[in-house]
Amino acid sequence: MVEELLIRNGVVYDPINGVNGEKKDICIRDGKVVEEVRNPKVIDAEGRVVMPGGVDIHAHIAGGKVNAGRLFRPEDGRKGREAKTKVCRAQSGYSVPNTFATGYRYAKMGYTFVMEAAMPPLAARHTHEEMVDIPILDNAAMPLIDNNWMTMDYVKSGDTDLLAAYIAWMVKATKGYGVKVVNPGGTEAWAWAKNCDLNDAVPYFDVTPAEIVKSLAVANEKFEMPHSIHVHGNMLGHPGNYKVTTSTYDLVKGITPYRDRPTMHATHTQFHSYGGTTWRDFESKAGAIADYVNKNEHVSIDLGSVILGDTTTMTADGPMEYSLYQITGRKWTNHDVELETGSGITPFLYSGKVSVHTIQWAIGQELALLIKDPWKLALTTDHPNAGPFIGYPIIISMLMSKRRRDESAADMHKVIYDRAELPSIDREYDLYEIAIITRGMTAKTLGLHEHGKGHLGVGADADVAIYDMSPEEHDAGKIQKAFLNTKYTIKGGEVVVKDGEVVAAPAGRTFFVTPECDSKLMEEMLVDLKAKFEHYYSVSFNNYPVQDAYVPNPYEIKAPWRS
Amino acid sequence: MQTIRLKLKEEITSGNAKIPIDVDSLTPDKLFGKNEAEIKAVKVWWGNREENTGDLFDVSVEGEAGSVEEVKIVMEGDLSRVKHIGDGMKAGEIEAIGDVDMHCGAMMTGGKITVRGNADCWAGREMRGGELIIEGDAGDNLCAMYRGEMTGMTGGKVTVGGNAGECAGQYMAGGEILIKGNTSILTGLNMKGGKITIEGDAVMPGADMTGGEITVKGKVLDMMPSFRFVGTTTIEGEEYKKYIGDLAMTEKRAKGVLYVR
Repeated sequence: MVEELLIRNGVVYDPINGVNGEKKDICIRDGKVVEEVRNPKVIDAEGRVVMPGGVDIHAHIAGGKVNAGRLFRPEDGRKGREAKTKVCRAQSGYSVPNTFATGYRYAKMGYTFVMEAAMPPLAARHTHEEMVDIPILDNAAMPLIDNNWMTMDYVKSGDTDLLAAYIAWMVKATKGYGVKVVNPGGTEAWAWAKNCDLNDAVPYFDVTPAEIVKSLAVANEKFEMPHSIHVHGNMLGHPGNYKVTTSTYDLVKGITPYRDRPTMHATHTQFHSYGGTTWRDFESKAGAIADYVNKNEHVSIDLGSVILGDTTTMTADGPMEYSLYQITGRKWTNHDVELETGSGITPFLYSGKVSVHTIQWAIGQELALLIKDPWKLALTTDHPNAGPFIGYPIIISMLMSKRRRDESAADMHKVIYDRAELPSIDREYDLYEIAIITRGMTAKTLGLHEHGKGHLGVGADADVAIYDMSPEEHDAGKIQKAFLNTKYTIKGGEVVVKDGEVVAAPAGRTFFVTPECDSKLMEEMLVDLKAKFEHYYSVSFNNYPVQDAYVPNPYEIKAPWRS
Repeated sequence: MQTIRLKLKEEITSGNAKIPIDVDSLTPDKLFGKNEAEIKAVKVWWGNREENTGDLFDVSVEGEAGSVEEVKIVMEGDLSRVKHIGDGMKAGEIEAIGDVDMHCGAMMTGGKITVRGNADCWAGREMRGGELIIEGDAGDNLCAMYRGEMTGMTGGKVTVGGNAGECAGQYMAGGEILIKGNTSILTGLNMKGGKITIEGDAVMPGADMTGGEITVKGKVLDMMPSFRFVGTTTIEGEEYKKYIGDLAMTEKRAKGVLYVR
């Protein structure tokens, strides 16, 4: 039987296809957007806002550290508990929700794709197991490749072809999506109880973070990779780090991307836009970062915008988590992943009464408002580091309403008027721009628009969000409410959310990239890699790659070698 | 005054597997204004099934209540697997006749609960106000925080006629606890406010405390070495040694006071 659906009279925002608030019908057949339908079920979207399913470019939703976060925060697990229903399994958690709640809550916000932003390669199986357990959402995960001993050896020898071969092997072995970089060199240095600034030598390996970033960008572009390297830079969360941030951006200037996209995606930029020298004279440098992004085309960013309240910070950036723990004195856990990476976790409370948190809160929004072209930025909270993803509608309402920002600022630490720019910015986002930073830009930057995500053109996946609001709505509270719970979310042509309730929870698909590499080059690289396994790994080479069974709903994207 | 009698039916707990019953929906504030038939229809969880109160309890209502303060619930029968008695209650009175299961009086903000028997673990957990009287013994984590939270009891008054288990008053920030018997290890662990009085003996009281006051009228076994003796003081005509601590939490934060006879 052919399943047909017609979404009638919605006001459509589909930035990838240049559709800006046009009243039009969307025809769906067999999970895809089509030209026309004959005998469809009709959904009346009269006067409501219709967008493609949301695409989140960066969130921590599955894997070892997410689960460790759940385990060591039972007090977070008790929040957001919901009993199972006929459709939904039992839910729990707020900043580290369980897998089911993750799927349902994203779907309720109209999201249909989420990128797990940091997969320790050795924990790839665990990550995939959890992603399988996340209902509704299509997903993918980026393996951490930067603090890896193989990577650093090749960076030192300067052999970017062999580095590319290693990337090919690793992305394929982990069923990953691209190259993730987290505090390059710094996480490895943490094993020596040290951290690395951009031009410090990594202990033992004697390469600098700058060299690692540059080499990985060059190697990444040797393939037709859908996504650029995805970088969490050095010195995250340190006052005065904005110069490190722009210097990191400079590293990949001049490297030609394989297609029309940046050569670096710089993630959770809020944490990297800090001025001052200590927490006492801490100030926003969002202006300087925005200025750089405005003038250059080789970098895209996502916000990492702060949601006030309690959350769980978790990152492969081990030394940063330790610094944070020293500030708060709350519980902290740290993990080493053999010769690949590490991680740390600690709870954190963002309070509007604290000057530093107030400035952090302002920076995320300043970045969005000061960067002129919304195609260069994505909405994220670096879930759950700056706040849980469930806070996205708050950020949307702030960006759309100057009044709401002013009202919020009035309740916060007065430092916001001295050391942040936010109160002086008048710009308000419109729905088209919101659609760009939550779907269009993210799908395009990840290269997913070529695979049916983030738009509603003919042939696209029938992932549609219908928000219960009129395009003229200006009340920030109503905007927030509408973006939290859709009128309808449709995933692959199936209604999964209706009137804010999950009505179906089909399994999502896992997208992964297979970089294709010359076999001679691969053989040469494997000699080195097998030696590493022989000498250092706790698992054997043959047992390492994630087998197909871990990805029951696969979507493979091939990335041929560029000749 | 209105008295609502809830007698747990014998057959409910007569089986080999005693399935717990959660009764946080049966507080005076939630039952106020309901007639007998309506009370019988209130949902309670029995294991993983939601049941009608009337299917598990014999329900009878005597008298009228003009306000929630005039509502008294009397629970009878084998209450040893009845959990969350008075959990979150705001006002009124509950009398539980017999031993009760975990979480009795948890999160309560007002009113009064009397347990004529022992209470299992987590009684008075995160209590905010009101009064809880346990005539028998209390289990572990009396008036403590939920796992992982950083604040336990913040207000109200709790009296235990017998002994209390481990970690009574953990992360307590306010309110008063009186334990007439002995306590097991680590009473007032991480305590930051409020007052605990132990008429019997205590083991390692006050570990990691940064505020509040603990008085031990009996013996202290395994006194924490990280407390500093600061002099003697007289309480109710008796002489007590006064200690401050816990210095393991740094000198600056060691604002807890421990009186030992």
